[in-house]
Amino acid sequence: MSHADPEQLAGLALDPTDGPADVREHAETCPECAGLVAAFTGVRRRAGADALVPPPAGLRAQVLAEARTGDTSPLSRPVTTEPASRRRVPLWLAGVAAALALLAGVGLGRIGTGTETPEAVEPPAGTVVAATALTALDSDAERGEASVVQTDDTFTIRVSASELGDEPGVHEVWLINVDGKRMISIGLLASGDEGEFAVPMDLIDQGYRIVDISVEPDDGDPTHSGVSLARGELA
Amino acid sequence: MTIIPFPARAARRYGGPVVTGAMSFEDEQDDGVLALAARLVAGDETALEEIYDRWSALVHTYALRALHDPHDAEEVTQQVFVAAWRSRHTLTPSPAALPAWLVGIARHKVADVRAARARDADRLAAVVSLTGARDDTLQAADDEVAERLVVRQAVEDLPDPRRTIVFLAFWEERSHAEIAEKVGLPLGTVKSHVRRGLMKLHQQLEGVRHESR
Repeated sequence: MSHADPEQLAGLALDPTDGPADVREHAETCPECAGLVAAFTGVRRRAGADALVPPPAGLRAQVLAEARTGDTSPLSRPVTTEPASRRRVPLWLAGVAAALALLAGVGLGRIGTGTETPEAVEPPAGTVVAATALTALDSDAERGEASVVQTDDTFTIRVSASELGDEPGVHEVWLINVDGKRMISIGLLASGDEGEFAVPMDLIDQGYRIVDISVEPDDGDPTHSGVSLARGELA
Repeated sequence: MTIIPFPARAARRYGGPVVTGAMSFEDEQDDGVLALAARLVAGDETALEEIYDRWSALVHTYALRALHDPHDAEEVTQQVFVAAWRSRHTLTPSPAALPAWLVGIARHKVADVRAARARDADRLAAVVSLTGARDDTLQAADDEVAERLVVRQAVEDLPDPRRTIVFLAFWEERSHAEIAEKVGLPLGTVKSHVRRGLMKLHQQLEGVRHESR
């Protein structure tokens, strides 16, 4: 006789008295079918586990962000795949855009002060519209502060960091979106721990409010190294 | 200096697309998993999101049962999915490949945490004897846990009414007649759902057994 129908064998696993006599007989003598019944019985025995416990809701964003930004090992970077290159170029461009924005901001500022009417001559101090303390990520150790200064329609992010350590590399400043999905480089702390970065106003409005300082090795990779020295959320 | 995953923000999205058409067929389900695996291999980030939404509870529960520490379990869960993304090129898509693969990665990560704990313990007291035997016992217990969780996940993945019927039969130990009355289906239909459900669970479990080692 050919092998029994698996569904009938499943029935036997659930109730050995269930099913046509010939199937039962066959399952007793055929090692293969008996094995399947035993396997089904084993599965049945493994039923009953408690409901699965989902991880905390916050983990999802962390996983996705880490997968995205830490995607730098040579093995996992197929130069030929579209999505990877599509993702990486804008980040690089973002750096350039941020640098340009910085230059533009400085330039406009100069022009602005040069042509302003006398009553507006006082230094363009601007208004601090948001600020945050910067702290280490693995502790509450202080790492300085960051603030957003609004002058006319320009936002300038002032970073005054401290104790960033002596890990080799340059310190790059990023804005991470509170959605945990997007980030943008706004420039380098070129002269030590202080820096000012003009950013388009709508970036802040879009939720790019987390200031992050990374240390970047000179490896030609324009993406975040994954090593954050300090962070704070502007509020 | 710190190496920390980032951004360390709470997720703004909850749950995920766990929609299976009421009348969906098992083959469609498999095709869906295959397609998902293929997208992951191709580097599609949304595939990672879907995979996380679908299997993070399985991975997290496994780590939780194996390590008995919520923090470690969370850490392992994160590592598993990040590692899955980074080593996605090593995945060979098959219907059971994704859960099997994730469970396989989770085994390794759990072992890493145990090794780290053992090293810490060694520093306190140089207890080296019986380590191997203990590991084997632990591994066997872990495997049993993993299999039970995979079965649980497979039930959750069944299309209704099969899922409800299998759940009533295996978890609540209801008789076929009771179930028939409860769900309003003929006894024969209920019986068939239970048997086919069992076959499907078996198929999933076998897949995980073969591919996660």
